[in-house]
Amino acid sequence: MNDKRPSNQPERPSTQIRWGRLLWFALSMLLLVSGLAQAAEQDTTLDRITPIGMVQATGEPLTTKTTPDIADVDTAEPIAAPRPSRSDYPDIGVSSRAIVWILAQLHLFFAALVLAVPLFVLTIELLGVYTGDDRYDNMAYEFMKISLTGFSITAIFGGSLALALFLLYPDFMGYMMHVFGAQVLVYAILFFLESFFLYTYYYGWNAFRYGNLKWVHLSLGLMLNAAGLTIMVVANSWATFMMAPSGVNEVGAVVGNIWEIMKGPLWNPINLHRFIANIAFGGAVVGAYAAFKFLSTTDPDKRAHYDWMGYTSNFIAILAFLPLPFAGYWLMAEIYAYSQQMGITAMGGILAWLFIVQAVLIGTILLAGNFYLWAGMSRTDGSDRYKGLIKYIAVTLVVCFLIWVTPHTLILSASEISLLGGSHHHILGPLGIMPAKNVAVNLMLVVTFLSFQLYRRSDKVATVSWAPMGNALMVAIYVVAIVNIIFLGVYYGYFTNTVYKVGSSVAQVASTLVVIIAGIVIDTLMFRNAKTLPSHWGRIPDRAQYALFALPIAFTWLMGLMGYVRSSVKTHWHVYTVMKDNSPDNFIPTIAYAGNMITIVTVLFLLCVLFMFWVANLSSTRQAKPAAGGAV
Amino acid sequence: MQTNDNNSVLSMLISIIVSFVIALTFFYGLDHLVMSMQGLPLNPDLSPAG
Repeated sequence: MNDKRPSNQPERPSTQIRWGRLLWFALSMLLLVSGLAQAAEQDTTLDRITPIGMVQATGEPLTTKTTPDIADVDTAEPIAAPRPSRSDYPDIGVSSRAIVWILAQLHLFFAALVLAVPLFVLTIELLGVYTGDDRYDNMAYEFMKISLTGFSITAIFGGSLALALFLLYPDFMGYMMHVFGAQVLVYAILFFLESFFLYTYYYGWNAFRYGNLKWVHLSLGLMLNAAGLTIMVVANSWATFMMAPSGVNEVGAVVGNIWEIMKGPLWNPINLHRFIANIAFGGAVVGAYAAFKFLSTTDPDKRAHYDWMGYTSNFIAILAFLPLPFAGYWLMAEIYAYSQQMGITAMGGILAWLFIVQAVLIGTILLAGNFYLWAGMSRTDGSDRYKGLIKYIAVTLVVCFLIWVTPHTLILSASEISLLGGSHHHILGPLGIMPAKNVAVNLMLVVTFLSFQLYRRSDKVATVSWAPMGNALMVAIYVVAIVNIIFLGVYYGYFTNTVYKVGSSVAQVASTLVVIIAGIVIDTLMFRNAKTLPSHWGRIPDRAQYALFALPIAFTWLMGLMGYVRSSVKTHWHVYTVMKDNSPDNFIPTIAYAGNMITIVTVLFLLCVLFMFWVANLSSTRQAKPAAGGAV
Repeated sequence: MQTNDNNSVLSMLISIIVSFVIALTFFYGLDHLVMSMQGLPLNPDLSPAG
């Protein structure tokens, strides 16, 4: 977190007995141990990648028992997944898939938001406790206030989605209820728990503000996050069961316990990916709120406050965004390992073009995030030392962005192919494959971190004696890491076999992570007791705030897009390989249709977010009492 | 004065050379380590050994 914040606040009373801290520590340890126990219980790689059910090209089940009868209950014989016919799907006159698509995506957007905000709110609150600065506490409270309405909206869309699914896909939902059984009730209990912790956390903020009670409040926040994350991983198990079923046999009959059903091969990759993505998404959305408030006031104190809030939000969003591509790689690697067909459908078939759109959106996010940081450097007088580097970062970002959006296979007419001399352009063709894109992505992340580092350094002057050596080491790490990333991508990507090509992408990721970790460690040590230069919160061009608006729009569209890809890789299966989708919508729609649907959902979400901001604003607005005898 | 400047430049030059040697050695080792962990050994010149 940047320490260039508005002036300090009074200290808080201390306490002799630290029982509140003990409570916090005990709960943290309990959650950590249970999380580690879950992770340690993973199967071997071979077990994880072995498909539970073989792909059935014909869709014919291996056994004929498809419907339960009374005898089944007595003998507890495994029941195969149902095989609904077209007439088993209710027709309400509009596309069932479109209805479920919109409701599911809106529910997921808000769920992502309300799961993420308490995570960084708790972190900011904790930071406030350790620094003794009340402004962290106030900002954390304001973040919670913004998202409070989001919890209700999440529940409304979740309930609507459940009703729509039971109405429009009764056989499928019956099967899911059969497979997951009482786990869905656990899910309901988790909602009660989350509501309890949410309301006590939010409404108890000022009642539990200092001393031991503050630690009780932090413990409530911890439990709120524990409940929220558990809800997320439980819901993820439904999505990943549909993609890569486990705990069932080849015809969908349940043969394992609920834990075996949940821990499918894609469960933890999705858990990690959604966890990180939610934080980035949540940071981007609340950043837009800060930008809106910044632009709508002329009060210098308020502008300083919302500038700081916007900076913090952008910091959260981009910092969480940096490791996201790596979590995405892990997820795709596991998808390929589980089913090559599924992987090829995603990245080599019709859906492959959506990854080009994804590149455009991620490029937008990185350009907007970097631009905001560069504009924010005007807050400090010491930033002039680094401004000269911005143009090189910008050029690198743009070049890498162009490489990333270069498609491999073009949709060409016969005359165009003739003019081109083949189906692939002789220069652009090689840039369309993964090695070039891996280089581009990693370099974009490295230079984005450089922007962060320059921003953080801009108001400091190192006073340690080894500062020149530290700077030289940092420069060397950047230069060698960039050379290494390019070498790994070009040499192994184009001049060795495929196995080395794929393996080298891991080394590229490692190089990027080394830059980030080394940068944090060196700067932390080098700028300890550094001389601080003046900085002025609120001294930032208005146009920088529009970058904060661009971020949530791009994030929302991106989440809608990639959520669609994740769901579509099942193709014509409700549950991949074990329960076929025989509804009228059991096909992958055109890219244009998908694009329109994603846009509609994004616009609806943004309208709901505006409503959420308005409600948050309303709670702090008090109407003036009309003058006596005046008009009412 | 001139001697101090020369010492300062020399010191900076040594810092840069040492830093690059450290970074090159580290990333060279990192490539070997990460690739061999995946069952993809490399020769000393970084060409595939498999």
